[in-house]
Amino acid sequence: MTREKHEVNNMLIGIDVGGTYTDGVLFSEGEVLSSVKHPTDENDLEGTLLSVLDELLARGGTKDVRRIVLSTTLVTNLLATGRGERTALLLVPGSGLPFSAYRISPDTYFLKGGIDFRGREIEGPDVKEVEQVIRKVHDSGIERVAVAGKFSNRNDAHERMVEDRVRSLYPHMDVCTSNEIAGRLNFPRRAVTCYYTAMTMREWNRFADSIEAAIRARVPGSDVHILKADGGTTTLDASRKRPCETVFSGPAASTMGTMALSRESLNAVSVDIGGTTSDISLIIEGAPLYASKGALIGGHLTHINAFAVRSIPLGGDSRVYDESGELRVGPMRVGPAACLGGSEPTVTDAFNLLNGLCLGDTDASRGKLEAVAGRLGTSLEELCRKVADEVVDRLERNIEEMFGLWEDEPAYKVWEVVHRRKFELHRVIGIGAAAPAIVPMLAAKIGVEHFLHRYSPVANALGAAVARPTLAVEVHVDTGRRTYTGSPGGLKGTVEKRNFQLEDARELALNCLKEVSRERGLADYAGEAHVYLEEQFNVIRGFTQEGKLFDVGIQVAPGFIHEYKGVA
Amino acid sequence: MKPTGVIFFPAFDWAISPTHPEREERLLYTRDQLFEEGIMDMPEVREYHPRLASAKDVSRVHFCVPDVTSRVTEAHMVSAGCAMVMADAFMQKEVKNAFAIIRPPGHHAMTVVHGNRGFCDINNEAVMVEYLRRTYGVKRLAIVDTDVHHGDGSQEIFWHDPDVLFISFHQDGRTLYPGSGFTNELGGPLAHGTTINIPMAPRTTDEGIHYIMDNLVLPILDEFKPELVINSAGQDNHYSDPLANMSFTAKGYAILNQKLRPDIAVLEGGYSVETALPYINMGIIMAMAGIDFSNLREPDYNPSRFRETAKNMDYIRSLVAHQLAAFREREKVVETNRKEGREFYGSSRGIFYDTEYLQEEQRLDLRMCPDCCGYRRISSSCVHHSGRSYSVFCVSLPAACCPDCAARARQDYEDMKKKPGGDYLYLQDRINDEYKTFETGTGRETTL
Repeated sequence: MTREKHEVNNMLIGIDVGGTYTDGVLFSEGEVLSSVKHPTDENDLEGTLLSVLDELLARGGTKDVRRIVLSTTLVTNLLATGRGERTALLLVPGSGLPFSAYRISPDTYFLKGGIDFRGREIEGPDVKEVEQVIRKVHDSGIERVAVAGKFSNRNDAHERMVEDRVRSLYPHMDVCTSNEIAGRLNFPRRAVTCYYTAMTMREWNRFADSIEAAIRARVPGSDVHILKADGGTTTLDASRKRPCETVFSGPAASTMGTMALSRESLNAVSVDIGGTTSDISLIIEGAPLYASKGALIGGHLTHINAFAVRSIPLGGDSRVYDESGELRVGPMRVGPAACLGGSEPTVTDAFNLLNGLCLGDTDASRGKLEAVAGRLGTSLEELCRKVADEVVDRLERNIEEMFGLWEDEPAYKVWEVVHRRKFELHRVIGIGAAAPAIVPMLAAKIGVEHFLHRYSPVANALGAAVARPTLAVEVHVDTGRRTYTGSPGGLKGTVEKRNFQLEDARELALNCLKEVSRERGLADYAGEAHVYLEEQFNVIRGFTQEGKLFDVGIQVAPGFIHEYKGVA
Repeated sequence: MKPTGVIFFPAFDWAISPTHPEREERLLYTRDQLFEEGIMDMPEVREYHPRLASAKDVSRVHFCVPDVTSRVTEAHMVSAGCAMVMADAFMQKEVKNAFAIIRPPGHHAMTVVHGNRGFCDINNEAVMVEYLRRTYGVKRLAIVDTDVHHGDGSQEIFWHDPDVLFISFHQDGRTLYPGSGFTNELGGPLAHGTTINIPMAPRTTDEGIHYIMDNLVLPILDEFKPELVINSAGQDNHYSDPLANMSFTAKGYAILNQKLRPDIAVLEGGYSVETALPYINMGIIMAMAGIDFSNLREPDYNPSRFRETAKNMDYIRSLVAHQLAAFREREKVVETNRKEGREFYGSSRGIFYDTEYLQEEQRLDLRMCPDCCGYRRISSSCVHHSGRSYSVFCVSLPAACCPDCAARARQDYEDMKKKPGGDYLYLQDRINDEYKTFETGTGRETTL
């Protein structure tokens, strides 16, 4: 679809690079003006991106684009396929779990040193040992180094010392410290995240450089943002220090698209039914649910905030066949549905007949399925119903399991246990090509309403186009030690001990958030931050109070840019 | 290999009072340590979600005066519920063993509950034991209480129960709260020898405690053959605990758990919140999950700091020999007691509630049944904090109650209903899993 040229500079572009296809939309004033779908060339993501962009620009007939948001698989691919460059991991674990628990990189080195939970040094590092290890790393031809210490989020001195030694001995090396990447507790996740960052930084920056130049040449003056795993965007510039945040942006784009289309504060489940797989995500009171333990990459948990998306190997193209007298549905995909020219009957074919959808060549659906029905000795109608039941049951089972997992998250306060969370579903939102056939039946089975939108097929690119920046800041204040530290990494400073209260901690967190958002070019949305975590503890020694500990988290949650007012 | 189940419930929104040892901060650094180590992410560990125990779960063990809801805080209900979650995970074979890192604690709470004793409202392990019996038909259990304080609540609850072996080692009661747990406390007349106390001298070290483990606790468990071993895992034997005077280390605790191999461990006391708890809790999880703990140590750990004295080792050796003999003659003693042919065995005593400064007066009568361990009648009176005085009468059927005792116990309860006097009557009918309360003033009866 193409429309006439708009005069004002309010065009938005979203491009979502998927594993098979790359989708792009040109969006303005509540309407998708143009959408493009190209096959993804894994070996030339940049070329794929630009071909989609060029077609959108050509069809839109304009260069007045205000903002371009890209969701790419570059980092995901590098990490998932193990093509990342060899990277050394220098760990300062101190006392606790055995070192064998931390074999994250084949090139892992352990250094002396120890910090405790309040940021106090327990054991000093050994400079000589550090330098020896760095030389060994260099001599083995490694040029990327990640440094992670236990409780470095409470005191970064040891990590900094190692970083300084690397920089002064081998200035050409890339070095990342874990406290800068993530400020939250969980040393192995911090180490993994730092390791992956060091591994992908150079490739990401190379990509960022060239894509930036290419976009500048085409649409000067537009903002370029990158979609992150948490459903928010960040500027291309800010992404350079944190390439790992761009993993799994595809499911994030779909979920944001779902939310953009169904903008009510409901409990919903979003079912993105593609050809081979279906992605299920939960939306709780209008907010998408995050993976509670962070994104899982290459078998390791990380500190990257990502949506809790469950991918099941069942889609519109899942093959319908018989095996030893039993009906089988999926998981493999042999090709498109028979009605669309495929050689084997699929889930889509069954729904096509059952619901009279008149998709493509209905006779082909009938012919291929009749053969299966004949071998199983049932009627065609019976077969279609069985396939539909199987698909709907499997989806429903997975949705219920996701509710259960959410309800069973650990709780650490009496209040949380007494007021136990219970998920009550309001609607099922369908996106993806096969959703219109399947989602209404699924919703009916669960007994809730369903929601489908004419923009469902391009929801992912639309989600990218209108997603706003996100940013979360967590501060940990220790008034006894007069320090504060925090996340995102690198946050630290001192506080006055006397009379520091929760309000002060909240203000401190807000100021940190404002500062970080200025640094990253995201200041427009700092005013929309809200507090999501608030804890305070009295530090009592003997029977007197020695200080207080505060943890305050404040964030700009995933949402939509100011100019997005919904779809027409 | 199945994982170790862990439930971590620090009750970050509950304290007895702002500066009390049992305050929000208690498990804060343990949280920091466990989360920073990332031990909950390891395949060897599976974390569970807490739940509330019900009033009925509590009533299987306790007579709460006047009732469960008004006597027990929600925090204690969650704590007991957490122990039950671990029991389910273990019995349903989801885990190879389980550790409830929970507060508030429970091992000072006794059968009748007028208030909080030693930071405990209700007894988490006892609620779990009766739940295990009711739900899974477990009969024989052992509780090994490794808290520095004598587990007087657990002892009292299982005092007349020959199917629960209760072993407590603790700092000598002459030097520490609650002032009990001496070697002559061996259990009631029909459950003699299934209560074993091991009072230790102040400053006893890893060496002394491990001698006791190897030469007394493990052999006794071996002979008793329980279906399930529970560790009341107090952590205040640690050298840095501010409320006690022992010299145990985090590694010592880990090795203890490696030897004991408890099926379910439940945190009790331990108030060295920064120097001990984070490391001991790590150590216990690692030992239970089979993770190498040789790299675990407290910041100020020094292996040569604590040495056991020859004098204390002599004391420990004679203590171990004495208690081993006491345990081995238990069946003979019970047989002798039964032959006396008394109808009831009675005893009276006062019970002090240190947290709330209450004094309870109690009279207990045990039926000297020829066929089972006998049912209990308890009359108890106490002036509560509110100024109101309560006088109650309780009848308790043991889990392994014979039909004769069951009929007599129920009849006793019905007879008491017709007599004047007293504020509440309670019937704890574990056979029918029915718990009755009769309010004499209104004549109203409720059943859980």
